Amino acid sequence: MNRPAAWLVLAMALGPELAAQDDVTARLAGRVPPAIAAAVSALADSARARGLPVAPLVDKALEGVVKGVPADRILPAVRTVLDQLDAAATALRGTGGTPPSDDAVEAGGFALAAGLTPGDLGAIAQSADRSHPTAVALQVAGALAAIGVPRAQTVGLVQASIQSGGPVGDLVSLPGQVQAAMARGAPPAAAAAGLERAAAAHQAPRPHGQGKGKGNPHRP
Amino acid sequence: MSHELDLPPSLQAEVETARRHVSLSPELEARVMAAVRRRAASPQQRAWRWLTAPSLPPWALLAAAATALLAFVLLRPASVGSPGVASPLATAVGPESIYVRFILVAPNAREVALAGTFNGWDPTAAPLARADAAGTWTVTVALPVGQHQYAFVVDGRRWVPDPAAPAVDDGFGRKNSVVSVSAAQGRIL
Amino acid sequence: MQRTEEPSDGTVVRAVLTGDVEQYAVLVRRYKDRYARYASRMLGSVDAAEDAVQDALIRAYDRLPQCRDPENFAGWFFLILRNRCFAERRRDRRSEGLEQAQEVTAPEGLHASLERAEQVGSLQRALLQLTPEQREVFVLKHVEELSYDEIATRVGTGVAALKMRMHRAYDRLRDLLGEPR
Repeated sequence: MNRPAAWLVLAMALGPELAAQDDVTARLAGRVPPAIAAAVSALADSARARGLPVAPLVDKALEGVVKGVPADRILPAVRTVLDQLDAAATALRGTGGTPPSDDAVEAGGFALAAGLTPGDLGAIAQSADRSHPTAVALQVAGALAAIGVPRAQTVGLVQASIQSGGPVGDLVSLPGQVQAAMARGAPPAAAAAGLERAAAAHQAPRPHGQGKGKGNPHRP
Repeated sequence: MSHELDLPPSLQAEVETARRHVSLSPELEARVMAAVRRRAASPQQRAWRWLTAPSLPPWALLAAAATALLAFVLLRPASVGSPGVASPLATAVGPESIYVRFILVAPNAREVALAGTFNGWDPTAAPLARADAAGTWTVTVALPVGQHQYAFVVDGRRWVPDPAAPAVDDGFGRKNSVVSVSAAQGRIL
Repeated sequence: MQRTEEPSDGTVVRAVLTGDVEQYAVLVRRYKDRYARYASRMLGSVDAAEDAVQDALIRAYDRLPQCRDPENFAGWFFLILRNRCFAERRRDRRSEGLEQAQEVTAPEGLHASLERAEQVGSLQRALLQLTPEQREVFVLKHVEELSYDEIATRVGTGVAALKMRMHRAYDRLRDLLGEPR
């Protein structure tokens, strides 16, 4: 442990946000029966070893206990979260480039839970760019799917919005816009289709648009 | 596996000395609170800059999705307590969080609480207050930027998703609501 | 530690999060000295500890909404301070090639007036030569006098790994202090 290289590895391992490194044991202690706490800690160790975020597992366990769910149904739910995170991480790593952030993996897990496929995640990740990070795109996609927008249209709409070159706030407002259209009577698919057409037609930067203009993006 | 370290007396004395309590300067509190107050005030200025010359920061922004779920900014912390206030500008608790108001219409409820991933699903952490006679309950909490799941707890027992927010399976046979929160410069619904 | 009539940490955190910013002073007062000894042994001087604690308290305010268990503000704040202490050591390590005289933290600077009461002894100097993890386990065990279980809970590492670190710390200290193995 005295070699500089090993020390640097340790130092870098301490880099990630502490807020995300919730101490599993401390969070579960006193709130969750010991047997469940032990099982969740084991799952958390497994998640950590695979480079997956741990907090969603603890969240799910706490949620189950608070909701009065029997113990034998809490662990399967936690395992499902772990599987979703794993699948999301695999899908996102498969696109190459920088490894996905914890936020991106969590958002990917959420998107899978909302009904998207690993392939959808990969497609969205590949459309992401510096102004439209993967985590944000996946959060929006998950929210759209959760509202009822069909898979393929969810992906199409998110991609069209990113490629239209507008500010990330436009991407972020999509679920709200779909809900607003639904409130006026449009089915989610039609609402999404309308927004995708609008995004695809968007050419010039907004009057108050940011200086960073985007080049003409390639078609997916 | 560890065998104790036998320190010679001089070094043992040093360990004893090291155990003495350390008190930091009393001015530290003033310096910290000055910085805290600056942070509480400055997002207001950032929000003004956003309205007048909107160049968005490079890091992630994500606005709240639901229509009845207003992710907006309150002018001063003191205004949070009165649900009727809907000032269009805001303070965030820090640069990475924003106040979000949650609303549930539940005329027959005796109590309503908000529980979610942002407060460890603690049903006591964020009770809602009745805002009017029509049974509107509200609470405003500071949420970190990002995505969170939540639900309302009615009368301490009934878990009710937010009717106006996207819903996902909670894995236990119910639904959770989802809120995605933007930074102070995010879109205001 | 808390008088019964005082609000709990969770109560104060929630008050701050619903807009009562001034309440944060309660937490500052409660915790500014709590880990000051740990920080000063990790960094080698009270001055450095003061900077670290100040930074950590401000950072904790910035990240307060991400404190998922407000009743455990103490543990969460400790991790923020810990990260700050480790970060400082990383910064210092990069300048290590310029020799100890360049050390930002205590040793050479301490012969200056103000710190007379706080001579940096040879043990502290030796501790500063350890890796942060090794130094930390030594400080938490011998200065803070925590059990391995308590240390494990605070820093999120297993007891076996901690004992291994301590073993290495001891070996290194023996080398540095010229003790026979």
